Amino acid sequence: MIPLRFAARSSQPEPFVMRLNAEVRAYELDRTGLRTEFDGDLVEVAGQRLTYASPRGTLVIEGTTAEEVDGDVVLALPGGRAAQRLIRATSPHNTFLITERCDQLCLMCSQPPKHHHADLLPFFEAAALLAPAGMTIGISGGEPLLYKAALLPMMQRVLTHRPDLGFHVLSNAQHIDEDDLDPLVGMRDRVLWGIPLYAADAATHDRIVGKSGAFLQLMETLPIFARAGASIELRTVIMRENAALLARLASFVIMHLPFINRWALMQLESIGFGRQNWDRLFFDHSTEFTPIADALNIAKARNVEAVLFNFPRCTVPQPYRDRAPSTISDWKRRYLGECSGCQERDICGGFFEWYPEDRGFQRLARI
Amino acid sequence: MNIWPLRFRDLGRGSLLFADDAGGFFKGTEDFLDRYALNALTDEDQAFLHEGGHTFQRELDLSYLGFAYRWCARQAPRRQLGYVILVPTLRCNLTCSYCQVSRAPEGARGFDWTEDTLDAVLAFIGGLAAPEIKIEFQGGEPLLRLDLLERVRDFCRQRFGKAEFVVCTNLQAVSAEAWDYLAAPDTFISTSLDGDAVTHQRQRTRSTELTNAFFGNLDRAIEQFGSSKVSALPTIDIERPPAVDEIISSFVDRGLRSIYLRPINHQGFARRGRDPDVGLDRWNAWHAAFIEHLIERNFRTGTILEEYYFSQCLKRVLRAGADEHVDLRNPNFFASDYLVIDHDGVLYPTDEARMQSRIGRIDLSVGHVHHGIDTEKVATLNAASCNNFDPDCIHCPYQPFCGSDLVDDISRYGRIDLPKQATWFCRRHTSLFDKVFELLYRRDEATRFSLSRWADLESWPEHLVREHQ
Repeated sequence: MIPLRFAARSSQPEPFVMRLNAEVRAYELDRTGLRTEFDGDLVEVAGQRLTYASPRGTLVIEGTTAEEVDGDVVLALPGGRAAQRLIRATSPHNTFLITERCDQLCLMCSQPPKHHHADLLPFFEAAALLAPAGMTIGISGGEPLLYKAALLPMMQRVLTHRPDLGFHVLSNAQHIDEDDLDPLVGMRDRVLWGIPLYAADAATHDRIVGKSGAFLQLMETLPIFARAGASIELRTVIMRENAALLARLASFVIMHLPFINRWALMQLESIGFGRQNWDRLFFDHSTEFTPIADALNIAKARNVEAVLFNFPRCTVPQPYRDRAPSTISDWKRRYLGECSGCQERDICGGFFEWYPEDRGFQRLARI
Repeated sequence: MNIWPLRFRDLGRGSLLFADDAGGFFKGTEDFLDRYALNALTDEDQAFLHEGGHTFQRELDLSYLGFAYRWCARQAPRRQLGYVILVPTLRCNLTCSYCQVSRAPEGARGFDWTEDTLDAVLAFIGGLAAPEIKIEFQGGEPLLRLDLLERVRDFCRQRFGKAEFVVCTNLQAVSAEAWDYLAAPDTFISTSLDGDAVTHQRQRTRSTELTNAFFGNLDRAIEQFGSSKVSALPTIDIERPPAVDEIISSFVDRGLRSIYLRPINHQGFARRGRDPDVGLDRWNAWHAAFIEHLIERNFRTGTILEEYYFSQCLKRVLRAGADEHVDLRNPNFFASDYLVIDHDGVLYPTDEARMQSRIGRIDLSVGHVHHGIDTEKVATLNAASCNNFDPDCIHCPYQPFCGSDLVDDISRYGRIDLPKQATWFCRRHTSLFDKVFELLYRRDEATRFSLSRWADLESWPEHLVREHQ
């Protein structure tokens, strides 16, 4: 796994943000006049101990190389004993975890909510402004919109200062109201809202998300996103709970949500509650693809783009393979023994680091 | 609960097709129609209508917005002008029985672009805002003026980020230089193949020698460039159609999987001395039988052949955005995304409008390449190029899927205000959509196999079309 956190020693007990610059990058910042107070230059290398110095403090990072982290934006954590990688400069998979609080309790939650909340928004804002050109930054939680009063203005400021950036927000969309129309309109072309919907009926959806009234609330908030012209990625994790209801959900989507940008049908991730409830929830599409095929075909017939997230390509019947792009983030992706020699390995997202091989897909085979 | 207005049409055997303005549809019963008409809908009725997107509770709720979005998406958007049909010469080396273009003899003078016209055409194309261009060379026989084709292509390649060229040729006489021209990856061939050799000879080539020359060139083109670079269109005389099997083998044997059956157009020579609607019922029946034949054949062989226009109608029923066929869309605004430039530099909204003008029936020209598009005239034509408010179309459940063809109405009847059901366009498309819906509600594997592939699906999903008692 790619590490998202390093052991570190900070000169400051207080947290601070630093962009890590090796020599060439540091020189380039001076040449172009783009240096900021957050820029830390590499001043010493001793084995795998890298020392960076910035106006805000000095940071020693352990267990990596200067090339590996060049251009990364890190947060020196309180206490000064570790550094969190907020932006990995060479990765397309960077996500800010806004909070671990959530008002839903989904059966398969990969990141079960916690009550404790640490407000890191100012650090995220600084990091976003230091991101490499053209990056789309993920915003996730918990439920990020629990803090929308601070979050939406922060996103607006970043998008104003950095016209090249975009955000991909994962939100349950429970906390949007009419007053949010203006900010949604303002960022509509540059923010993709990943919003989950698990069934076309309230009972099933509410049971899966562990909150009664959640479906009805979505029916109230989705129109607000639609009226704002917001970009929407509808997300449906497929489980035994809802697999048989997929075709009905597809019919609901094409009629009532035809304006979405795409519909992501997602395989389960075996971590958090997903790991605890795996045996009860996991739907093995490698042996039973029909409900998914029906949903894909209903959507395609009506011009709604539907795609498969977290579907290893060999588990998908050949005619549908092109709908299964590589989606598992690099830092939590792995390949199995079966994958060696597979012709499609390079375009396949592989498996989650925590994929349970003994309880997973029955049909796996190199292509 | 508010219900969006439903139109309906008898499908026979006590069932009706219901459709709303956004193209949502379902099959229902006469009992349901009674309940709908008498405002006596049951809870089941209301739930069914809600699920199908035919209702809303209040303005701007999710159902309302879904409907509004689907309605908007159905209206063919005006796009940038990026598709230009050029007629560099009206001269032709064939005299087809149904010639649609009021051709000129091969040796005639005064039917080619002058140097001045060429310059103006290039200036006109060069002034378009579109980032990409598609050029279709029509005629006459465009290969008679390969020099002009070269100069247009050179210009467009250098002027646009992406340029694509289609040469509509009879493939009768192809010089070594013409073969070189056609070999380019950005250049495609469109030709006529009237079913079997006998029909092709009768309608087009007239002599065995010319027939053999054509088939030799067609086969060489497909062998050399591949079937994806060649499209061949049969023009069918419904009084003497070729045998269906013969048409099919003419295409399949050459690796061509898409057949676009066109009835002889009521244009040019073809309209002399004929009742405008002669053969319509025969055409509709013959075409429907052809579709059945394809379904049976596709299922038996496990391979897919399509009739292009039927596939287009099917896609238009299922989804918004199938607007790429310029003869079937709504609104069908003129000179918005494509335009014809004739051999004398006159601009026409469509090839058919050019023919009507050429025979002196009506002047449908919309400007000249020297002076640009006559926007006032285009606006006059556009006022009648939309079926949404037509007093007949508003009652028809097929309206959202259908189009309008003002030029065809003028061509056949000399006017555009006939009751729609009395026009060839309406009767032909009503028959086509009847067939589409007949197939959509069949449940046999053979039909579903063909339908799914014609609609670009991997397989036919359950629950795609809805029924209510």
